[in-house]
Amino acid sequence: MLTRPTRKELSHVTALTIILQVLLVLTSFMLVLSILMHKGKGGGLSDMFGGGISSSLGSSGVAERNLNRITIGSAIVWGIVIVLLGLIQRFTF
Amino acid sequence: MLSAFVRAFRTPDLRRKLLFTLGIMAIFRFGSFVPTPGIDYTNVRVCTEPGTDGSVLGLVNLFSGGALLQLSVFALGVMPYITASIIVQLLRVVIPRFEALHKEGQSGTAVLTQYTRYLTIGLAILQATTIITVARTGNLYPDCNLDILVDDSVMTILLMILTMTAGTGLIMWLGELITERGVGNGMSLLIFTSIASSFPSAFRQIQLADDGAIKLAIFVVISLLVIGLIVFVEQSQRRIPVQYAKRMVGRRMYGGSSTYIPIKINMSGVIPVIFASSLMALPVLAAQFADPTDSWVQWVSSNLADPGQNIYIAVYVALILFFAFFYTSITFNPDDVADNMKRYGGFIPGIRAGRPTAEYLQYVITRITTAGAIYLAIVALIPTIAFKLMGISTTIPFGGTSLLILVSVGLETVKQIDSQLQQRHYEGFLR
Repeated sequence: MLTRPTRKELSHVTALTIILQVLLVLTSFMLVLSILMHKGKGGGLSDMFGGGISSSLGSSGVAERNLNRITIGSAIVWGIVIVLLGLIQRFTF
Repeated sequence: MLSAFVRAFRTPDLRRKLLFTLGIMAIFRFGSFVPTPGIDYTNVRVCTEPGTDGSVLGLVNLFSGGALLQLSVFALGVMPYITASIIVQLLRVVIPRFEALHKEGQSGTAVLTQYTRYLTIGLAILQATTIITVARTGNLYPDCNLDILVDDSVMTILLMILTMTAGTGLIMWLGELITERGVGNGMSLLIFTSIASSFPSAFRQIQLADDGAIKLAIFVVISLLVIGLIVFVEQSQRRIPVQYAKRMVGRRMYGGSSTYIPIKINMSGVIPVIFASSLMALPVLAAQFADPTDSWVQWVSSNLADPGQNIYIAVYVALILFFAFFYTSITFNPDDVADNMKRYGGFIPGIRAGRPTAEYLQYVITRITTAGAIYLAIVALIPTIAFKLMGISTTIPFGGTSLLILVSVGLETVKQIDSQLQQRHYEGFLR
């Protein structure tokens, strides 16, 4: 932080940034798609603010469980990439 | 009361659910502080210093727990989902297919929920684009001239829109997870988290003003009174007695019991208030993009942008009253209820089954909703007016809207925990 990064280091950083950005695009799409593939639980507004008792449809099959894993996985990668990008930006400009 | 809490945590099943819910809320709050890539975070920090409030997006910002003005990954919060559900609900009146789906029962509702989720993502893209455009032109913080974006290239902006959209999707999923595996309704708990999180800093702001301690005390007293009033009205209901006739099906005897239809005074909950405030924000937002010298823009910014103005209050009240009736008429259909009662041999004593029953129900509903709508409008306005008279700057967290949301979400959640607790013990929170 105290010494200005040399040009070679900067080029490394830009390469890393680009890789991270590509990763961000991929995981964002993965995240949105996998979330949309879930069956929505808890419908509508009347449910949200003082509506009836929502019936819990507990059973989640194998497909649902795998989908959960994919979603959680991409969410974690997504979060890490964002934090890394933030750190890079904080310490290069 | 306290022992009930301890008991709730002693029950393994319930403990797991409560901890799960709290964990998701923590993740949600954490994400509200992570800046979107491409934002110059240090400049944003300078611009969001307390004292410089971008009041244009007040309520929307409140719903996202301050994440919107920080342009974090969760900047949009639950707003797109709320808007999407409102739109789908309203479309039921317009599009026959939606109404048919709703009548279909569980499978139809699932399809409607699915539509809501697609619409949420669409709206998220739209709103993210709007927010980033506003941020780029520098209108997000009116009294701050620093650059908020690191660079203006199309790629960066697209990336930011994509990230915010994915964040909104994630919030939606987190909410659904709470609904599914935690306690209470996820979406409303997330709103609850956002609103509650803005309270400490607002307290601090009042305390730092002149005569801070006295004002804080008055404020706390007023809030407690309003909360008491809200709890009282939300719990009260009109009970219409219903008598069921005895009948034999095979060898078993059914019915013969007398019960009642509970009709809450405020059946529509906080939805009218949310609708009304979202609509009030629209002209102000539109004015952001127009030429500031136009006469209508000046009229909007002098009359509709400030919650203390008389015109603002009048329009706000009118909208709340309208939506209270409108939403009640969507959610409660007297004809259906009368029909169902007739089918199972029930009747209201003194009133014939069928059409007279439906008319009677309609009559009761209309009268009770009148009271409920006026109550909503008063609650939404009292704190604003009181604080205005006292000279506390009415920053949004203390509007009646947020108190109303906090209390009704809290009540609903406690009721759910209570019913879960009663599966094991008979004594719950509410006696």
